Amino acid sequence: MIPIHWFLELAAVLFVVGSLGVILRRNALIMLMGIELQLNAANLTLVAFSRAYHDAHAQAFAFIVIAVAAAEAAVGLAILVGIFRNRRSVNVDELTIMKH
Amino acid sequence: MDFDVSQLSAIGPIVALTVAGCFLLLLEAFAGGRQRAYLMPLTLAAVAVALVLEAGQWRDAQLATSAFHGLLAVDRFSILLSSVFLVGCGMTALLAPAYMKEHEFEFGEFYALLIFATAGMIILAQATDFVTIFLGIETMSIAVYVLTGSWRNSAKSAEGAMKYFMVGAFATSVLLYGIALIYGATGTTALAEIARQAPRVSQAPLFIVGFLLVIVALGFKIAAVPFHMWAPDAYEGAPTPVTAFMATTVKAAGFATLIRLVATTFSRTELAYGSSGWASILSWLAVLTMTLGNLGALRQDNVKRMLAYSSIAHAGYLLVGVVAIAVVGADARGPLIYYLVAYTFTTIGAFGVVAWIGNKNDERVMIDDWAGLASRHPAQALAMTLFMLSLGGFPPTAGFFGKFYVFRAALEKPTLIWLVVVAVLNSVISVYYYLRVVTAMYFREPGRELRPLRSNGVTAALLIAAFGVLAIGILPSWLIDAANAALFLQ
Repeated sequence: MIPIHWFLELAAVLFVVGSLGVILRRNALIMLMGIELQLNAANLTLVAFSRAYHDAHAQAFAFIVIAVAAAEAAVGLAILVGIFRNRRSVNVDELTIMKH
Repeated sequence: MDFDVSQLSAIGPIVALTVAGCFLLLLEAFAGGRQRAYLMPLTLAAVAVALVLEAGQWRDAQLATSAFHGLLAVDRFSILLSSVFLVGCGMTALLAPAYMKEHEFEFGEFYALLIFATAGMIILAQATDFVTIFLGIETMSIAVYVLTGSWRNSAKSAEGAMKYFMVGAFATSVLLYGIALIYGATGTTALAEIARQAPRVSQAPLFIVGFLLVIVALGFKIAAVPFHMWAPDAYEGAPTPVTAFMATTVKAAGFATLIRLVATTFSRTELAYGSSGWASILSWLAVLTMTLGNLGALRQDNVKRMLAYSSIAHAGYLLVGVVAIAVVGADARGPLIYYLVAYTFTTIGAFGVVAWIGNKNDERVMIDDWAGLASRHPAQALAMTLFMLSLGGFPPTAGFFGKFYVFRAALEKPTLIWLVVVAVLNSVISVYYYLRVVTAMYFREPGRELRPLRSNGVTAALLIAAFGVLAIGILPSWLIDAANAALFLQ
């Protein structure tokens, strides 16, 4: 059996990569992908612990998260399309009409 | 504990709202634009039904009960807060139709989304497990992202929605990773069980990092500094009725979760971290939030944006109440509930006046646009004055007693005196920018002609808000007694 720390380390790396994607990249699509990566890192952590504890609760939780994340991504893409229609770009640095 | 049908009564209001929301969606899809006039009254009816169900639960809930294997609680705390969310939803629905018609973005899904978001908030108020907390936050947030961007011909609305979505989704994933780490440390997601395990795991790095991530994520949701950068833009960009909804009920729902977390899990002394436990982190968040929110509001000439910063500052005062719960004990939750009720009525009223004053392509939100309002529209100017005084904390308004009770609760512990001093200084500073609106309305010459909205719905919402601010300000005792009696499932 693969030891649990491999899963946890992979998940931690995925989470950091996802966070950096959201924080550093300026393309809204890439940022959205970073958020998905973070959510999947959390799911992987949940399922890894769930297997270690022989407890199915967290696996059910991971399924709920997958469903919710799909809804969130759908809304996010819709908002992105709205922005793109307005200004033909999804660069978040150009979103400055309300800066004071 | 096996499932039995009687548990469904625990989620009666949520079910009622969900069914109503689906019905409104179908009505919009199949009846199209012809039935739009009925959507707002139907929304109000759904809110009324849910309020009646909450009232029924209040009568039954002599003891706090738990349902669905400890996922949800029905206690007077959740019932009181759910009623606040429902009233906020109803008042937003009253403001919406005239505003959407004037600014030409009428669409029926608006009301369904409003109702779904409210259902998510009620889940949050009842949640006693991280699974339901996550579900509630997402149900609420996803609907509110769409509402923020619902003003489709406004570039500001799209931009506000984008910022809100990106930050909100980031916060969600941080929350979830935090939950996963806490699950790793304790083997459970139930708040009560986590509290029980506290002595064993309180110093585990996994657990500390997990809880920090959860606090950061909730900080984003309640717009606490330094996690507030999305709030001014999202609040300014959103249609004003939605801003009212976001600034009050969404924030209150975040606080509901925070109160439950602090009162069940953080209150254990074993969870000490730093000099005085998690409370020290929360008190620094409170100081930053109050001060930077006020400094931001001071330099705004845009009334809508000023109110956005003011709502950040109020999150800081509310955090003082949360710190009081953590330090003094769960008994200090009454003042915080009172403050949330007072703040909800006042802020929805203030944004209601902002929604009322604007026209198509001309939102009239700059303070110069408000000059001389009192001579032309004395009633609305009087209402706005009342809301500004309440936000500033003048007696005999609701805002005064909210601050009074919260600060008094914090003063129970001498270690919190410095925090209360900072909070009082901040509310003194805030008086400047609130009174600036009042002086512009009363003591300056009128400028351009105004063509405000003419709508019974807006008038009704403003009347309800003004009545609420005065009623619980002049007679505060019944509400603070009910809030203090708000039993809490431990």
